[in-house]
Amino acid sequence: MNKRSLPIVALGLTAALALTACASGSEDTGSGGVNAEGQTLTVWIMEGTNPDSEAFFDSVGEAFTDETGAELDVEFVQWADAHDRFVTSIAGGTTPDVAETGTTWTAEFADAGALAPIGDFVDEAGLSDDLVEGLVESGTYEDELYGMPWYAGVRSLVYRADIFEELGLEAPTTWDEIVAAGEAVKAAHPDMMPFAVPGDAEFPVYPWVWGAGGEVATQEGDEWVSGLDSAESQEGIGFYTGLATEHGFSSAGATTWKETDVLDNFAQGNIAMALMGSWTPAAIVEKNAELEGKFAATPIPGKDGGIAPSVLGGSHLSMFETAENKELAWEFVKLMTTGEFADQWGQQSGYFPGQASLLAETMESDDPLVAPFATQLVEGGGTVPVTPKYGAVQAKKTTNTAIQAILSGQKTVEQATADAAAEMNEIMNG
Amino acid sequence: MTNTLQAPPVAQGTSAPRAAGGPGRTKNLLTRTRPWLLLAPALAVLAVLLLWPLVRVFLFSLQDYGLREIVSGEPNWIGLANFGEIFTSPELYTVVLPNTVGFAVLAVAGTVAFGTAVAVLMASLGPFWRTVVGSAIMIAWAMPAVTGTYVWVWIFDADRGIFNETLQALGLQDEPVNWFTNRYTFYAIVLLNVIHHGFPFVAITILAGLLGVPKEMLEAAEMDGAGPWRRFWRIIVPNLKQVFAVVIILSTIWDFKVFAQVYLMPGGAGSNREALNLGVWSYVESFGQNRYGFGSAIAVLLTLVLLGITVVYVRTMLKEDEL
Repeated sequence: MNKRSLPIVALGLTAALALTACASGSEDTGSGGVNAEGQTLTVWIMEGTNPDSEAFFDSVGEAFTDETGAELDVEFVQWADAHDRFVTSIAGGTTPDVAETGTTWTAEFADAGALAPIGDFVDEAGLSDDLVEGLVESGTYEDELYGMPWYAGVRSLVYRADIFEELGLEAPTTWDEIVAAGEAVKAAHPDMMPFAVPGDAEFPVYPWVWGAGGEVATQEGDEWVSGLDSAESQEGIGFYTGLATEHGFSSAGATTWKETDVLDNFAQGNIAMALMGSWTPAAIVEKNAELEGKFAATPIPGKDGGIAPSVLGGSHLSMFETAENKELAWEFVKLMTTGEFADQWGQQSGYFPGQASLLAETMESDDPLVAPFATQLVEGGGTVPVTPKYGAVQAKKTTNTAIQAILSGQKTVEQATADAAAEMNEIMNG
Repeated sequence: MTNTLQAPPVAQGTSAPRAAGGPGRTKNLLTRTRPWLLLAPALAVLAVLLLWPLVRVFLFSLQDYGLREIVSGEPNWIGLANFGEIFTSPELYTVVLPNTVGFAVLAVAGTVAFGTAVAVLMASLGPFWRTVVGSAIMIAWAMPAVTGTYVWVWIFDADRGIFNETLQALGLQDEPVNWFTNRYTFYAIVLLNVIHHGFPFVAITILAGLLGVPKEMLEAAEMDGAGPWRRFWRIIVPNLKQVFAVVIILSTIWDFKVFAQVYLMPGGAGSNREALNLGVWSYVESFGQNRYGFGSAIAVLLTLVLLGITVVYVRTMLKEDEL
C-alpha cells in the first residue's frame, strides 16, 4: 500500500467509527464526567520546547484540578536522555501515566506493548476528523492510534531575505531557481555559503527524494521496500549533494555537519539558504539579534515547481498501559491537545498545534516566518516509514552515511543510494 | 618453614585445656573457616553488586533481548546466535577491530612514552618548576573528555579551524580540507586527544616511582661511566617494572574502551562507517537499535579480551619478581 494513501484510509475508518460512536450516544461521559478527587496523574514533558514551561503547566494543573479534582504532577525530561529513561522505566514498570513522546518513538513503544490505545477516546470526543493528518499517521501502529497529536514542526527553505533583495532575487520555486539564486549569491558574496548541505542530517534529504517523485520506503504486503535507490530518488539525492559537489554552494566542513551546525552557522551569517525547521527562527534571532527581519522562509520547491513534502516532526501525548485511571489520563490529554491550552502552547513554543481546526487559524497568519511553514505543513507534510524498526535505521544513520559518503567523495550517488537501500531493507525486514 | 612446623603443637596446646567443649578438629575447622566468615559480609556485597550483574549480562547475551522482552519480562533464548552474528560481521574485521586494536597500540605506546618523558623531565627539575609543570599537566588531566574533544574538533575544524587556516596561510593547501572524513586523519586527531588527556596520569605515577629509585645506585653507575641513556634503560626501567606494568594495563583497558572521544567527533557517531571503533560500533548496533542481547554479547567478549590482556601482563610481572 502506498505510504500516503494509508492515512486517508485510516482517517476514513476512524471517521466511520466516530459516526457510530456518536450514534450510540455517550452524553453522560462528556467533559467533567471524571471525578478523581485525591488521585494524582504523573506526566513527563520534554524540556526546552517551551521556554516558559513551568508557568504554562502551573495553569494547566489548576484547570485540570478544577475539572477532575485530581492533582497533576509534571516532570520535565531532557530530550537527550529521554529515550533511555523511557526504556528503563518500561523495564521497571515505573512509566508515567501520560508522556510526551517524539513522533518516531510512539510506534516503537506501542510495538513493545507499553502504550495504551486511545482511538476509542478520540472517537468518543468526536475529535477524529479534527487532527493533523501527518501526526495521526505517525501515531498509528497496526491500525490503532497510540499517540495523540499534540504539536508539529516542519522544515522549509529558509533564506536571507536581505541578500535576496539586494541581488534582486525571488524566493526559488523550482530546483533550477535554487541553482540560479545560489550562483548569484556566490558571485556577489564569495565568503558566504549559498546553500548548506549538512552531511550528518537525515531529514533535509527526504524533501529532495519526494520532490523528484521518489520514496524513502514503502510497505508491500508484510515487506518494507526502500525506494532510495530508484531513479527518481537518485536524481533528488544527486541534485541535493550536487549543490555541494558540483556547484560548490556548501563547504568542506559541512560534510560532517549536523543540523545544529547549520543553525549555528546561519545565525552567524555564513549561510544564504538552508533547510531549517519552523522552530528555528526564534533560536536564530536569540543567537544573533542583528538577523531579525533579515531572513524569510518558503516551502521547499519540487523539481519543476509545486511543494516538495518535508518530514513532519513533533510530539504526541501518549498514555501508558500502567495508567491506573485511563479516563483521567484522557481528560488530561484532551485538555492539553485541544482548544485554549493547545493554542497557547503553539504560540509560546513556535510549533503548530496538532488539532486541525486550530492549525487552520494559524494558517491565516501573514508572518513571513509562520505562513510558509504552515503551508508546508498542510500541503507538503510527509512522514518517515511508520514501523518500529525505523528507529534502528536512524540509529545506524543509514541515510546520513550515504550523504556523507557522497559529499566526501568516497562513493558515487548510485553506489551510496544502493548501499543505503540494501541496509534499510535488511534492518526494516529483519 | 620453621614457623609452620611449630604452629600445630601450639594450637594443640591451647586447645587441650579447653577440650571439654569439643574435640580439636572442630577448632581446626573454625580456624580454617574464620577468615572466610570474616570476609563473608564483604563477599556477599561484592556478589550482589558485581557478580550478579555480570551473570545477568552473560544471560542476556544468550537471548534476543529487546524492548518487547523488557516489557513482558519473558526470556527469549537464542543460544549463541548473538556471538555468531558478531563473529560473522564483515564490518568487525575490516573496520572495527583494526581501528580499535591499532588505535589502542598506538595510544598506549604514545601515552606511556610521552608520560615517561615528562616524568623524567619533572624529576630533574627543582621544586618550584616541578610544581609549575605538575600543575600544568594536572589541568590537562582535569579537563573532562567531552570538553577536551570539542577543543580538538575546533582546532581541526574544516572551515574555521586554526590548523587549516595555518596550512592555507603557509600556502601548503589551497582549499579547506575536512580532516574528519578520512579514517587515518580522523584517528590521528583522536590519538592526539587521548594522549593529551591520558599522559598526566602516566607522568605522575612514573614520577613517584622515579623519586623512589635509590640515588646511590645511580651515582654508582655514573662513577662506573654509564651515560644518562644507559642509566635510564639499565637502572631506572628495571626498577620501575611494576609501575610500568600497572600503567600499561590501565592504559590498555582505557584505550580499548574509548568511546566519547570518537562518538563526539564530526562523523564519529556512525555516519562515517570507516571511523567506527568497538565502543561506537557496539553502541550503534545494540543500544541504538534496542538490541540489548547483542550489546551484552559484545560486552562479554570485550571483558574476556581485556581479562586476557591483564592476565598476560600480571603473569609476566609476577614471573620477573620471582627471579
